[in-house]
Amino acid sequence: MTRGQGELQEMYPLEGESYQYRWEEEDGSFILALEGDVAEGQEPSVTISIDLRDTAEGICRTGSGRTFPFAWAWIGAQLHLWLDGDLHIFRGFHPSTRSGRRRGRASDPKTSGDVLAPMPGAVLEVLVSEGDQVEQNQTVVVMESMKMELLISAPRDGVVSRVSVQVGQLVERGMRLLELAPQSSLPADELPDSQHQDSP
Amino acid sequence: MFSKILVANRGEIAVRINRTLRAMGIVPVAVFSDPDAGALHVSTAEESVSLRGRTAEETYLNIPSVVQAARDSGADAVHPGYGFLSENPEFAWACEEAGLCFIGPAPESMEVLGDKLRSKEIAERAGVPVVPSSPQCLPGDTAPGTFVQRWGFPLLVKAAAGGGGRGMRLVHRRSELDEAMESASREAQAAFGDGRVFLERCVANPRHVEFQVLADRYGHTIHLGERECSVQRRYQKIVEESPSPALTPDLRRRMGDAAVAVARAANYVNAGTAEFLLDPGTGEFYFLEMNARLQVEHPVTEAVLGLDMVEWQVRIANGEPLTLQQEELQPLGHAIECRIYAEDPYRDFVPSTGTLLRWRPAGGPGLRLDSGAAQGQEVSIYYDPMLAKLIAWAPHRDVSMRRMEVALSQFLVLGVVTNIPLLRAVIGHPQFRSGNYDTGFLEWNPSVTRPLVSTSTRGTARALAAWVAKSRAAPDVPAPAVGDRGAVSPWRSAGDLRLP
Repeated sequence: MTRGQGELQEMYPLEGESYQYRWEEEDGSFILALEGDVAEGQEPSVTISIDLRDTAEGICRTGSGRTFPFAWAWIGAQLHLWLDGDLHIFRGFHPSTRSGRRRGRASDPKTSGDVLAPMPGAVLEVLVSEGDQVEQNQTVVVMESMKMELLISAPRDGVVSRVSVQVGQLVERGMRLLELAPQSSLPADELPDSQHQDSP
Repeated sequence: MFSKILVANRGEIAVRINRTLRAMGIVPVAVFSDPDAGALHVSTAEESVSLRGRTAEETYLNIPSVVQAARDSGADAVHPGYGFLSENPEFAWACEEAGLCFIGPAPESMEVLGDKLRSKEIAERAGVPVVPSSPQCLPGDTAPGTFVQRWGFPLLVKAAAGGGGRGMRLVHRRSELDEAMESASREAQAAFGDGRVFLERCVANPRHVEFQVLADRYGHTIHLGERECSVQRRYQKIVEESPSPALTPDLRRRMGDAAVAVARAANYVNAGTAEFLLDPGTGEFYFLEMNARLQVEHPVTEAVLGLDMVEWQVRIANGEPLTLQQEELQPLGHAIECRIYAEDPYRDFVPSTGTLLRWRPAGGPGLRLDSGAAQGQEVSIYYDPMLAKLIAWAPHRDVSMRRMEVALSQFLVLGVVTNIPLLRAVIGHPQFRSGNYDTGFLEWNPSVTRPLVSTSTRGTARALAAWVAKSRAAPDVPAPAVGDRGAVSPWRSAGDLRLP
């Protein structure tokens, strides 16, 4: 089984907010699970299976047994998806463009002091305390979302200056989980203080 | 018979003419602009001549250039298609002077009929009712004042040399009139090289029904029945059908007679189309104009009558008598045409440009595709955004509609946005299916121009998008194992996953 997560935005024919999802693939079955509040007109979880005809075209079968032809093409960051006669356009997000896209979000996880919840869920474990020295990529919080655990890691080396959540707490996407103290090597004017205040 | 004919056009109509010419054993010669060098209308011809330049003005509208190309290629005749120079009498004169046969009416009748106002005078003299209109004018003229006083608003501003909805504006109040005349005049100047406009009374909620006419040089004039063209956006037709669901046999006979009467009064030779507004409530009809050329939607007529209009155009131009008789022309079954445009039906029909990364039309019984588009082709800003016409024929109207629905749903286009979803919505709409619709169809049914995506389709699309996105993110690398923080997938932005 392979799994992962991603973020897309519907551009056409309906234009929507970007949404985050998890995916899981096993034995030819691909499962998409939307993160966060699922609005009316959305299915929280979709299972499909895919047979490719060539590099960018194939047949998609849904759980109900319906069969749809599909084809796609990337045009820059836009994914043009033809599905059974209709065009759907999505925008894919790369992490490097993601942070710049959101106003007030830390632009570089290497320098930001915030560790944010990447999606809504419950805090299962907080593995560090205030004053702890952490290393980049060290797991600091464990969250649970949609029956899967999510390991939240430190974006950089630093000292935990504040823990903002407790075990069992439900958090929204973008909420601050903990804060790392500013790195002393950084000049003062590069400190991401204003970004802290702007965080959603 | 001619041995070589230059086709002075591009896109689907040039491709379509090339096909008939080749079937007749005539060599088609294509002309092309720089962006069109690799286009289908060039590859379907047997010879081609470059018209250096990019814009329509530099190339397909450039009379000396096109005539020179015809001369250089050794063509006997020129087929102008529709649009561009097809209704330009100067071009017809220039062809004649160069010793080329112009496949169309004589320049004199083009001058008379191509002018919408003069063609109305002819119709009136032939006893055919017309929509009241003002004398021709230019922006800033005071002449239309009396017309406005008499008929009031709303009214239409039209280009005297117009066609295809270009240079046409609907005006609701006086304050909008000057600006509408100016912009219509500019558009007409750009499209036809003639900025004259006139005002016309706006008939409320009419149907747009036109009759195809054929006439030989020997005075034999017939009509080939009607085409219903009421589904329009911005006065541009997008769906046409024949026969019209609105006509009774009696009305069909009277309108057909009127079309023939106008053609005869103008000494018309070759193929032409008489356009009428039909008041569906009263059954009254008004002659609008005579299009002195092949019409975009001619394939629906060909489908129900089983003939080739371009072949007849060439034969008539070659001096052959028209051997078809009015009585023997009985339409068989029903045909519908959808115009596929590279435009966004949900964003005010803005044209969409790009490369046709995927282009795979559908086939099936009774289907015909007239297209100038090919996979890999650039859809540029330079020309009309119509990519193709899809025509479905069947013994009955409802079956032709269903054939069209299936074909549209299987028509694969990627790279530009098209109006296919709108066409599907129109064909599937109960009012359209009932046949009881008029030129206000899109206006009265705004839901047709709004996207409709079912929950399950949306979910499937999202799942597919996610699948494609993850495949792109890590094309050769299997997704990371649990807890593997070293993996490079850019989609893994926040952390890693493990099962509880």
